[in-house]
Amino acid sequence: MASLVRSWIPLLILQSFLVAVAFGSKEAEQFSEALLLKPLPDRKVLAHFHFENRAPPSNSHGRHHHLFPKAISQLVQKFRVKEMELSFTQGRWNHEHWGGFDPLSSMNAKPVGVELWAVFDVPQSQVDTSWKNLTHALSGLFCASINFLESSTSYAAPTWGFGTNSDKLRYGSLPREAVCTENLTPWLKLLPCRDKDGISALMNRPSVYRGFYHSQRLHLSTVESGQEGLGSGIVLEQTLTVVLQPETTSVETNMQPSWSLSSLFGRKVVGSCVLAKSSNVYLQLEGRLGHESKNVDTEIEAHKLWKNADFDLSLKPDRVLRESSGLLFIFDIDKSSDSEPFDLGLNWKLPSKWSCQQAPLQASRFLMGSGNERGAIAILLKATESQEKLPGRELTDGRCTIKANIFQIFPWYIKVYYHTLQIFVDQQQKTDSEVLKKINVSPSTDKVSSGMLEMMLELPCEVKSAAISIEYDKGFLHIDEYPPDANQGFDIPSALISFPSHHASLDFQEELSKSPLLSSFKEKSLVRSYTEVLLVPLTTPDFSMPYNVITITCTIFALYFGSLLNVLRRRIGEEERFLKSQAGKKTGGVKQLLLRLTAKIRGRPIEAPSSESPAAESSFLSTKLIFKIILIAGAAAAWQYFSTDK
Amino acid sequence: MEETSDRLNPTTDTSGIAPEFDPKTMRSTKPGLKRLFITTSVLFSFLLGVPFLWKSVEIYRSPLPFHDIDSLSDQIESTPLQFPCNFHAVFVGFESKDPDKLRSQIQDGINQLTHQSSQCGSCNFSISVTVQNQADQCSETLAYNPSMCSYRCGVIKRNEFGVGLDDTVDESLNDVFSGCSENSGKTYSVVVVNKENANGEDEVIKAVVGKRRHAWVVGSGLEESYGDIVARVSEIFVKVFMNGGRDEESIHGEFMPVGSDGKIVLSFSLLNSNPRDWVYDWDFQRIDDALLAPVTKALAPIANISVESQVLYHTPKSSFSSWDEKLQSYIFRTSDLPFFVNSNEWHLDTSAGASGRSKILQFVVYIPSGKECPLLLQLPNGEISKTNGFISPMWGGVIVWNPENCDKDSESPSRNTISPQDLEQIVEIFLGQFRQLFGFKSEAIYTSGLGTYKILPSERGFTEWELDVLSRKHTCFNLHSCSTTLGSLSRLVRSLPRMIIKDEIGEQVKYSLKAAKLAQSNASLGGYSSSASSSREARSLAENAFFHPSIMSVSYFSYEHCFAVYSPFFLPVVAHIVFAALREWKGYRQEKAKYLTWLTRKKTA
Repeated sequence: MASLVRSWIPLLILQSFLVAVAFGSKEAEQFSEALLLKPLPDRKVLAHFHFENRAPPSNSHGRHHHLFPKAISQLVQKFRVKEMELSFTQGRWNHEHWGGFDPLSSMNAKPVGVELWAVFDVPQSQVDTSWKNLTHALSGLFCASINFLESSTSYAAPTWGFGTNSDKLRYGSLPREAVCTENLTPWLKLLPCRDKDGISALMNRPSVYRGFYHSQRLHLSTVESGQEGLGSGIVLEQTLTVVLQPETTSVETNMQPSWSLSSLFGRKVVGSCVLAKSSNVYLQLEGRLGHESKNVDTEIEAHKLWKNADFDLSLKPDRVLRESSGLLFIFDIDKSSDSEPFDLGLNWKLPSKWSCQQAPLQASRFLMGSGNERGAIAILLKATESQEKLPGRELTDGRCTIKANIFQIFPWYIKVYYHTLQIFVDQQQKTDSEVLKKINVSPSTDKVSSGMLEMMLELPCEVKSAAISIEYDKGFLHIDEYPPDANQGFDIPSALISFPSHHASLDFQEELSKSPLLSSFKEKSLVRSYTEVLLVPLTTPDFSMPYNVITITCTIFALYFGSLLNVLRRRIGEEERFLKSQAGKKTGGVKQLLLRLTAKIRGRPIEAPSSESPAAESSFLSTKLIFKIILIAGAAAAWQYFSTDK
Repeated sequence: MEETSDRLNPTTDTSGIAPEFDPKTMRSTKPGLKRLFITTSVLFSFLLGVPFLWKSVEIYRSPLPFHDIDSLSDQIESTPLQFPCNFHAVFVGFESKDPDKLRSQIQDGINQLTHQSSQCGSCNFSISVTVQNQADQCSETLAYNPSMCSYRCGVIKRNEFGVGLDDTVDESLNDVFSGCSENSGKTYSVVVVNKENANGEDEVIKAVVGKRRHAWVVGSGLEESYGDIVARVSEIFVKVFMNGGRDEESIHGEFMPVGSDGKIVLSFSLLNSNPRDWVYDWDFQRIDDALLAPVTKALAPIANISVESQVLYHTPKSSFSSWDEKLQSYIFRTSDLPFFVNSNEWHLDTSAGASGRSKILQFVVYIPSGKECPLLLQLPNGEISKTNGFISPMWGGVIVWNPENCDKDSESPSRNTISPQDLEQIVEIFLGQFRQLFGFKSEAIYTSGLGTYKILPSERGFTEWELDVLSRKHTCFNLHSCSTTLGSLSRLVRSLPRMIIKDEIGEQVKYSLKAAKLAQSNASLGGYSSSASSSREARSLAENAFFHPSIMSVSYFSYEHCFAVYSPFFLPVVAHIVFAALREWKGYRQEKAKYLTWLTRKKTA
């Protein structure tokens, strides 16, 4: 019996191993698509496209793929990227009207231009090399000048101010990068259906780029398999957030505009991407918590939710979810087809008003001072209305406080004096020890690295406003370092304000289906907001200056040299004598001049008093002239020959 | 100081001596040299400064060995690279043949076939012949090369040979010739067996080329038609072993789909032209492990091959196809092929893994959509292509794979996986295409004027003698490309005299030339793999030098620029100095002449 058991055990182990292998290989790459629509309080509509592509742990990453983009997988393999986010943004997120305290805004409100951060899985010494190679690869992949982030003056290594604590993190941003359709096309190439089918078919370029805000984001993270000898999995999340203005025909100004997908995008959805595991459209309505609704089980109650006195939807939602601040309608687009396209519309019947949840403090940043020599940067934090209602307050020493992290990169030519840092709370200057909890400064080195400031403020809860100012000197750049449009000024990248004790998440009362979009909303995300980009004018030189300097100095030298030589060489006494003898010979200067003038007018040569025959002189003159002409022609020919031949 | 001041009162001193003194044409004192000396010394110091200035505005140019580059390209042009090969012919069952005579006949046949011209990458052959008579006694030609293997007499039995499968015969021949040393080139052998005509019927002569480096010709009554046999033996040597059975005209020898860093990336893509009709997937990992790994391993001496695969969707072809009633299928013709690859929608080129200058070969399996299924390729002669695919040299190949059932059964798209059998077929077609990209034929029969030869295919895709041919051609191609690259670099450098050339470039050129020399000497010694690797290095270094970033950037400091910077100073100053010197010289001569006339006047007086 014992021997029987013993002989069975290896077999069982083998079998379980085989099963594991079979399951491991069975787990396939998954793709899902979703679109979230959300009317905004200021009569605009937000559309948020969300695509997620998961590659299970495997050893063949970068080599064999079915749905997952090979290029991304090869990037991850080659540069050993652990986590990475790349965003292309045009326009600025309106924190006041579009929200600042929900997962959507905390994840998708990005600074203008390109922002890239990455965490690497390489030894500390190789992180910078990996970053540089990655920027080059990405700039090729996305048709953008991300490779400008390669130089050490344009990126920084945040320690704790960014929110992700890792010493292998690098962060850089290019505020001036113009984002357009040439960046969207390669981004779409990473989707299995591109924009041929499914939700992404809505991305009509003119309507997408006509919007007020446009942010295209790519986030990838690797998931450790936990198994020995098996590579890690990759999750690729691609989102596109646009804020559009629906065309309105209504005369009433306080009436929200009605819209449909076809009026917003000019296109309709004619079916899901066949490769997607799930493809849903969500409609989020804020500020209308299912009033007096205890149970929505009955059909009439459910019907009331999407066709009521306030508004009605053109399609019946498949499910309705409630969360703390509003309703979420879920539509499945699998059923739509060519003959019956999915065209969701929202029709408002009554004027309606609501407000978005805002971050505890609203941040803005501006420049102070004038002139081309020095200035100051100020960051102003203003309390919002919703501040009192928010959770996340902390009690330290019996006081209620709000924590705020500020992360700012300074280019090296903005020479910041960190000792001039001043903090005002409610217009009263505070000492550092009162409000500053933590600060980390890495000063810039000229032409080598950029400066970085990370600080954590602890403000009292009842604060109305807080301001931080810091002075700087403007540096001088070498003439080669100016960009082509130097007179436009130089950009200081956005500062990032994050609230470490505030986390945004949507919590739904019901248990969810496993939709990647909703589960990402359910996760707690750090509340952050980016400030404006500042434009600093620097002294720009006259770019033709070197040549002017060369010409002027050379002329002065030549003059000096010439006159010195003349002084050394000339016989002044002799010349004076010569002039005197001339004066004695001639019959007065004025008469001579008149004689010459009349002769010129008559066109006849002056009768030479000399004994030489005029013919001989003229022939002599002409030979001299011919000789000169030949000399000059010869010189020109030689110059031509030497300059063209080589 | 005032040398001319004495002209004021010349008569005061000299009136007594010379009454006819004319102050206009004469002077009584020696003209002074001070001013002339000053101006000429300034002029000379300027002239002396010119070389220093020239040196200071000179840009750095690493000296390139132009002469060596020229001599390398001349050498490659004039004397094509040849590898030593040993041809060994064994005649079994021949009664009265003199091996030396046979040898000279084979030599004549080979010379006739090669037209005495030596192509790059061909063989510098030596021939040995063994004749074994019916009583198993041997006579041999005197071996030129002492290291060459000798055939042990009587091992091949004339009547037992060639029975059974060709593969086993091939293996047995390998045992027979296993003692060969490979020191000086490869040894190729052809065994001719003259069988007894037992049945009395006229047996067909059978010629087979094996997987290794052996071929055999079996038949009866060969003794009578031995001239024919000798011609066939020399044909096997030249057409098959030396040239790899490829038509010289079809694909030029310079086509070698290997990147300059010696890497090939095989990128396989499965294109679902319309996933709404059906979606096909494949298990490429298994194919890679089972079928492609041996091929990549076999080709390892020539190139470092990596394999990757992807599945793409919504990728219609860009040419049209027409419905053919007779065949009940859609037809596309060879004239449509240039438009078949849809570079707008087929985003194949996303290989970040292929760094630098690796060669990417695309192999595309195209699954037609429901509207064009089944899709067949019609050849110009009206027949339907058996492989249903085509190649594009240096790009890759396309295979059109039709699903078994072209009817869409339901609304929702069906998800399928290509069965392993179908995948194996696809890989077979791919291997054929891959061989074609290297210039080999994909058929198992080689036909020439004298008859047909059966060629045993290897499961590794390439037989050993084919790999030898590739290796020779590859070395040759690398050296050729190295010499042309270096030649263009030297022409470029010589045409731009103000271009900065860094030391790195000079070093790369030097090492490249060194590696090329090494490859040549290794090739003449018969080291196939060593010459291939050093030739690859030579090519890669040459390309590195040519594509060096410092050459690519605009670092061209022109004469015009130099002139513009320095002329504001030197033009006015030099003009001053030169004119002053000239005037002084002129004045001095005038004055001196005056003085001389005065002197002569005084003398005569």
